[in-house]
Amino acid sequence: MLRRYKTVPDLKAHESAAAISFVDPALACKLTAMGVRPGAVIEMIRKAPFGKAYYIKVDGIRLALREEEAFSILLEI
Amino acid sequence: MTRGDAQTYKIALVGNPNSGKSTIFNQLTGLRQKTGNFPGVTVDIKSGKIRFAGGIEAILTDLPGTYSLYPTSSDEKIVAALLTHPAHANFPDGIVYIADTNHLEKHLLLLTQIMDLGIPILLALNMSDTAAELGIKVNIIRLSERLGVPVVFVSGRTGENIDRLQAELEKMMLGTQAIHKTAAFYTPTEAEKQLVEAVQLNLGTENPYRALLIAHHYQWLPFLQHSERETLAAIVETKHFQSLRAQVDETLDRFDRFTPFVQESVQEAPTFPNTTTDRLDALLTHRIGGPLIFFAVMLLMFQAIFDWSVYPMDWIETGFSWLNDGLKAALPAGWFSDLFTDGILAGLSGILIFIPQIAILFLLITILEEVGYMSRVVFMFDKTMRRAGMNGRSVISLIGGGACAVPAIMSSRTIGNWQERLITIMVTPFISCSARIPVYLVLIGLAVPAVKIGGLINAQTLVFASMYALGVIAAFASGWAMKKWLRTREPSFLAIELPEYRMPDWKNVALTVWEKVAAFVWGAGKIILFVSIALWGLSRFGPGNAVETAENTAREKAQTTQLSTSETEDLIAHHRLEASYAGQMGKFIEPAIRPLGYDWKIGIALLTSFAAREVFTGTLAVLYNMGSAEPDISSRTDNQAKVTMRAKMREETFSDNGKPVYTLATALSLLVFYALALQCMSTIAVVKRETGSWKWALFQFTFMSALAYVVAWLVYLLFS
Repeated sequence: MLRRYKTVPDLKAHESAAAISFVDPALACKLTAMGVRPGAVIEMIRKAPFGKAYYIKVDGIRLALREEEAFSILLEI
Repeated sequence: MTRGDAQTYKIALVGNPNSGKSTIFNQLTGLRQKTGNFPGVTVDIKSGKIRFAGGIEAILTDLPGTYSLYPTSSDEKIVAALLTHPAHANFPDGIVYIADTNHLEKHLLLLTQIMDLGIPILLALNMSDTAAELGIKVNIIRLSERLGVPVVFVSGRTGENIDRLQAELEKMMLGTQAIHKTAAFYTPTEAEKQLVEAVQLNLGTENPYRALLIAHHYQWLPFLQHSERETLAAIVETKHFQSLRAQVDETLDRFDRFTPFVQESVQEAPTFPNTTTDRLDALLTHRIGGPLIFFAVMLLMFQAIFDWSVYPMDWIETGFSWLNDGLKAALPAGWFSDLFTDGILAGLSGILIFIPQIAILFLLITILEEVGYMSRVVFMFDKTMRRAGMNGRSVISLIGGGACAVPAIMSSRTIGNWQERLITIMVTPFISCSARIPVYLVLIGLAVPAVKIGGLINAQTLVFASMYALGVIAAFASGWAMKKWLRTREPSFLAIELPEYRMPDWKNVALTVWEKVAAFVWGAGKIILFVSIALWGLSRFGPGNAVETAENTAREKAQTTQLSTSETEDLIAHHRLEASYAGQMGKFIEPAIRPLGYDWKIGIALLTSFAAREVFTGTLAVLYNMGSAEPDISSRTDNQAKVTMRAKMREETFSDNGKPVYTLATALSLLVFYALALQCMSTIAVVKRETGSWKWALFQFTFMSALAYVVAWLVYLLFS
């Protein structure tokens, strides 16, 4: 089956994609308040030293997300 | 808008985290600020006075930074709880909203939420250091018109335009604001309107948005009565209100409405080139370099604490022994003079001796936080911390625990998930705090030889470092165990902003260090002073005339065995102490602590240490009749007093079998006990306050004491 979206961990370093929606409503609430909204372009910066977390950039804002949080953001292909 | 007189006008400072709120707070209030009690919330909220040209005064309160009125941590809940509760004593008459000019769009969400609550508001656009670099230009007249709030530019860093902000504030206080929008920013959906009406009808809430927020947060808002909570639960149930979804929809709707305003007003949008922050992060959060740099920073930090504190600590102790000798010579002999010198003065020096180390530790931690490094540590170690049932944010508490567990436990408020926060609170006191340092130093100096192991590491240094390692291991192991045991299902977030690196605001650093040190001196200081006075009394007096009888017995014994004057004095002191209340208490618990290798004198020290562990050395000084010698123990300069105290301790023998008390096994067992036991009343009090019940405070106390006892016992068995 072909997926019509990818998620943040699929991005390679310095690759960007626009967010479509969020899977987890509680996290959606937190992320939208922090300025990560559907349509926002998310750039992958790097993985955490021990893994399980990602450093991303959204509209000039730098954010750290856990793996689960990163998986819950659906991105355009 | 003519609420109250200007004398009691209350202004709250609100904004997102990293908006530069605290620098602007300092600019507005100068040094006229204090950290005060805020009725109903367990948080230290800073407030300060602002004086205006006409002699009018207002009280400015700095609320915790938050992104929205839909909070995810207890820090953020404070803001939502206050702003939905107009009857609260600290409910603001007006709000100064601080937004970062570089990220204007993101920072306006909370502004529009507060506008809908109908509280007079003023928008201050904070120009950060990099604003010019990023090339942003904002037409504030346009922005002000579109949003319907007065807008001013300020610079928290340079203090530029603070006078203009003050002028606007004055207008807000007097109700002469040029612009004041009354219409609601957000239009509720039909379902929300019905809900709001029901809440308004039942609770009498006037403002519709406030009613909506109450419906969202009815489960935790602290001011609601039990019956109100039940009513609200019924309303939410019958209206099929889906809180989370509604929150997201409302947030997105607000963004959709104000984004065009921002686009119209921003003449030159910021570009975000690869800045210094990106270059620094490439190194500081690097896969291998990041953790290595972190450990190097920690190592340097503890090195600095020991190296820098030697001199001020020497000055303090020299000052106190000089004062003590002087007073002893000047005051007439008697119990009153003894109380003053051996009780109060000894207690005071026991407090003040910690100030250098605490101040240095807080200084370095505050700088790391101010420059923005701490959030990188949170990012790097989130996974590690989660293994032990905690959150990346717990790193800040654990590092802070190296200074003092009390502020460290309070800093756990940024952790949204209750279980993660609870585990952080429970394990933070395992980290060796600065109060344990003197205990470690005196015991290691006593029992561990200063030999080089393998010609490289000093055995004393090794034992000292092991004590820190033991604390860290205990913290992680018990965190892991608690995680297995608790297992609650509640959303847990990392989602943290990594702010731009910046030079620390030195004024803010100085103020923070000053506050923390002052809080320690007053909080812990009261206890230490009280304990040393009580201890002095308990060790000087005994039931009936037991102490006098003991003295006479000792005198007779001294005469028959023909002891020298100083030997006689020591014998008398020893017998007096044994007969005193303190001696009786020590004797009473001796059977319980004998398996760990302790005698009744150590027993007294243990008992008094449960008030605050820093009392240990002071207690021993009193018990070994050293008077003012106590502060010398924590020093590295090998002076007479320390040698005498150690010599006296080495001579101690058990009364029943005559074997020496301070063997390597006893000293190591004591070290381990002090590393693991929760001997600090302030920590117990703060845990009770932060967890809201005695249950967790008592659990922690019992758990840590039991663990300390068992491990100390094992260590004694192993080495004896």
